[in-house]
Amino acid sequence: MNIIACVRQTPDTETVIKINGAANGIELDGVKLVLGPYDEYAMEAAAQIKEKNGGEVTAITVGGEKAAETLRHCLAVGADKAVHVQDTGADDALAIATALANQIKKLPHDLIFVSNKGTDSDRGAVGPMLGELLGLPYVGLVTEIEIDGGAVTVSRDVEGGSKEKFKVTLPAVICAQKGVRGEPRYASLPAIMKAKKKPIETVAAEGDLASLRKVELEKLEYPPARPPGRMVPGESAADKAKELVRLLRSEAKVI
Amino acid sequence: MKTQWIDELGQRVPLSRQPQDLQTYGRDWTRVYVPRPSAVVFPRHADEVCEVLRFCSEHGIAVVPSGGRTGLSAGAVAAEGELVLSLERLRTLGEVDPFGLTLTTGAGVTNHEVHVHCEHLGLTWPVDLASKGSCQVGGNLATNAGGIRVLRYGHARHWVTGLQVALMDGTLLNLGNAVQKDNVGPDLRQLMIGSEGILGVITRATLRLALLPSDRQVLFLAVDGMETGLELLRHARIQGRFQLQAFEFMGRNCLEAVMKVGGSPSPFGPGELPPAAVLIEVEGRLDGELDRWLEQVMSQKLVQDGLVAKSSADLNRLWAYRDNITESLGRLGLMHKNDISVEVGRLAEFVHVLEKEVAPVFPGELYLFGHLGDGNLHINVMKPSAMDPEEFWDGCHVADVQLYELLHKLGGSVSAEHGIGLLKKSALGFSRGPAEVATMRAVKKALDPEGLLNPGKVFDLSTT
Repeated sequence: MNIIACVRQTPDTETVIKINGAANGIELDGVKLVLGPYDEYAMEAAAQIKEKNGGEVTAITVGGEKAAETLRHCLAVGADKAVHVQDTGADDALAIATALANQIKKLPHDLIFVSNKGTDSDRGAVGPMLGELLGLPYVGLVTEIEIDGGAVTVSRDVEGGSKEKFKVTLPAVICAQKGVRGEPRYASLPAIMKAKKKPIETVAAEGDLASLRKVELEKLEYPPARPPGRMVPGESAADKAKELVRLLRSEAKVI
Repeated sequence: MKTQWIDELGQRVPLSRQPQDLQTYGRDWTRVYVPRPSAVVFPRHADEVCEVLRFCSEHGIAVVPSGGRTGLSAGAVAAEGELVLSLERLRTLGEVDPFGLTLTTGAGVTNHEVHVHCEHLGLTWPVDLASKGSCQVGGNLATNAGGIRVLRYGHARHWVTGLQVALMDGTLLNLGNAVQKDNVGPDLRQLMIGSEGILGVITRATLRLALLPSDRQVLFLAVDGMETGLELLRHARIQGRFQLQAFEFMGRNCLEAVMKVGGSPSPFGPGELPPAAVLIEVEGRLDGELDRWLEQVMSQKLVQDGLVAKSSADLNRLWAYRDNITESLGRLGLMHKNDISVEVGRLAEFVHVLEKEVAPVFPGELYLFGHLGDGNLHINVMKPSAMDPEEFWDGCHVADVQLYELLHKLGGSVSAEHGIGLLKKSALGFSRGPAEVATMRAVKKALDPEGLLNPGKVFDLSTT
């Protein structure tokens, strides 16, 4: 089975985000970039399915030079090879989906994994667009996946604790929900060493991806600062409680 | 008579005799002694601390200074009707001085609050403990706290420029301030730091700050035992061109305990766990330096398997295997604890004799973990479930003597981080000679002739 894992490099989740001077992006200088936390689940699902059913996993990403580090990580956690579509300007869902679709069409593919969303853009749009551009079935937020020969059954959680179950013909695009195949594995030392010898194919994006952009980011701004906490004055616990009740009544007006 | 002085003191400073407060403030994280303080006072500033001490001096009342009460040697326990002097209301937290990188704080501010206070400036007070949410600056200094960053930064005593200390007679000493270089006579600050509250009561401190470590890299390596762990440490120190932040060791049974209690999977994936693991944290942008080092140690077969944290989430998950050991063991059974250290280079020799000769004497299974880079091991012994606790403690105390004798022979310490308090008093003589203890006693007598301040801690005042 030929499995493709579409991944994205995002700032580490503990990064202190600083908006750039033009207010149209974030400062990336000195920021640690990692495999997107949701993409880790997609990558883990791809690796486990390969390990059980045989085949090959190709990790693919669209991004600048540094994105190669993320592909190297994917090669240490289950991918066999990787494709790096080099592009720095396409921070747009349709542009990324188009670049991915153009490459995937050239690769043998049965099962294509995407993640729920990037932790930076929070768009969650690339997966459905990719399905559409490739003319393939797409199922979002999949929590279970069973493979039986050429037939794939997937489930997703819906409101009220129920599940929706789908039979999907391959090839298909599957969006992996968090935990679909447990927690992602760590990069082990032997696997990191082996990953150094695995191939990463670097290709240029076809055409001008920036021209595909349908959405323009106008401005980024910080959320309003949280008002500081207040110490309730008072000599004893009883005094403080009394004052707190008064403040909740007269100022906060919540009781 | 007893009530009279308490009432009188209560009119001067906030005081509690609530049974719940007596229970809470009368003990620390050791659960060996039954708390029995007569009352708890909560002075609001240093002058009130002095007033309490002067009052107690005049009335002959014993006082136990109290911070966050997270100590593990019963240094803050009041089991003999003492007055507990809580410093928790001394909560003034100053501004960070951006020139000298210092911060002045009241004794009752927690370690974590200090960290949060200077984090936005990219600074930290590099005293970092598992108990940081509860432990307070005053207690950190009174016990010269260690923690997970000692390898890089040393103990708490290296990170102080100024100290304000109240003596038992009510005198308030201002020992230094934010001045970095102040080489004038014997350093009373350093005498007070680590004195476990028997010489004076720390009310305020000016702390030195360090840059927050940037770009932390964490490795979690499978090793076949302590010797390999030490060999890795030697390699990292001599050949690794990087700054070690932490070098931690844990035996297989510690890892198993964390996995069992936390319901977490093996970090090494399915298959058998290795005999031991080391967690290494390294600071800085390394440009492949760490990779090159790893390739070296792998080619020398020191390490066959291991993990590399690729994100902060990974890093936190891997650290959790180390951080959660104490708590996990505590949940699995009753533990007897020793916190020892020897010269790092003699640790393998120590462990060899420990396992061969001392371990069989202990009445339960040994769990070894700790700060390998500092030569500091936590030796925990679990009570077998069928054994009577009294029998277990008695057996542990017999084995402890052998452990301390071994440490004495190797020039090691019977208490690397935890101090002496009440719990390790009988062990003091294995790490400190009679002349040294007599000198300590002379200092104590000079500052507190009646022996009213934290009585019975570290050593007894009279030698009879």
